[in-house]
Amino acid sequence: MENSGISKPTVSYGLALAITSVVNAILVVAKEESPIVMDLMKKITFHHWVTHCAFVVVLFFGLGCLFARANGGRGVNITASRLIRSLVAGVVLGSLIIVGFYGTGG
Amino acid sequence: MNEIILITHVLFGMGCILTTLWIFVDVLHASAANLPRIRSMCRASAVVMWLAFLIGGYWYVSYYKVDKALILKGPWPFAHNFIMETKEHLVITLLLVVTYLPIAAAGDLVADKGARRVLLWATGLAAVLALLMDLEGGLIALGVKVASHVNSP
Repeated sequence: MENSGISKPTVSYGLALAITSVVNAILVVAKEESPIVMDLMKKITFHHWVTHCAFVVVLFFGLGCLFARANGGRGVNITASRLIRSLVAGVVLGSLIIVGFYGTGG
Repeated sequence: MNEIILITHVLFGMGCILTTLWIFVDVLHASAANLPRIRSMCRASAVVMWLAFLIGGYWYVSYYKVDKALILKGPWPFAHNFIMETKEHLVITLLLVVTYLPIAAAGDLVADKGARRVLLWATGLAAVLALLMDLEGGLIALGVKVASHVNSP
């Protein structure tokens, strides 16, 4: 079995990382394009970037905990190859959205 | 004070680059002998990255306004509009990837090729992102420098 040694936290937080990376990028576009979102983020803490960071970090740990509790506490069943594909795709896609958004004058 | 904060931020950032490269090479040759070192280096990488992030974040929120205004008046406005904007958001992804390293290192790296590959990919992503952050930091500093030259009497 390829994934026999992959621990539940490795899978859970790996998937959380993939999703959170994309959400991070979506939040960038949302706050830059919507003054309402930007103002709200400034109101929650004293700086939009601080709110942004706090939200993304909390989401990462929250999703990791959630995935670890899936399947009655056994966690998500996934092979190492699929986990790697998800992780790399999430991080690369999130990064490209951010670079593309600001690269096109966002 | 401003400069001390920035230098400390850069030093911890360099620490992140060095530790991720170290982990990558160590994981390629993972064995029972170097497994404790791999796990220690993963924890060290996460600690230095969080320190670089918190110190850099404090500087960004407290001091960057002055440099930003200077950059935007200078010949390299992209040093803020593109470089800093991407850096301040890509660094969050880097922070999460490096935070993930000790979690991925907890698996059975010696016996399981899959667990080893997951950590290799995560470390590779972290190293590339960390190098990119270093490059962007340098370009932002250059943006301030060229703006200072243009605006000086």
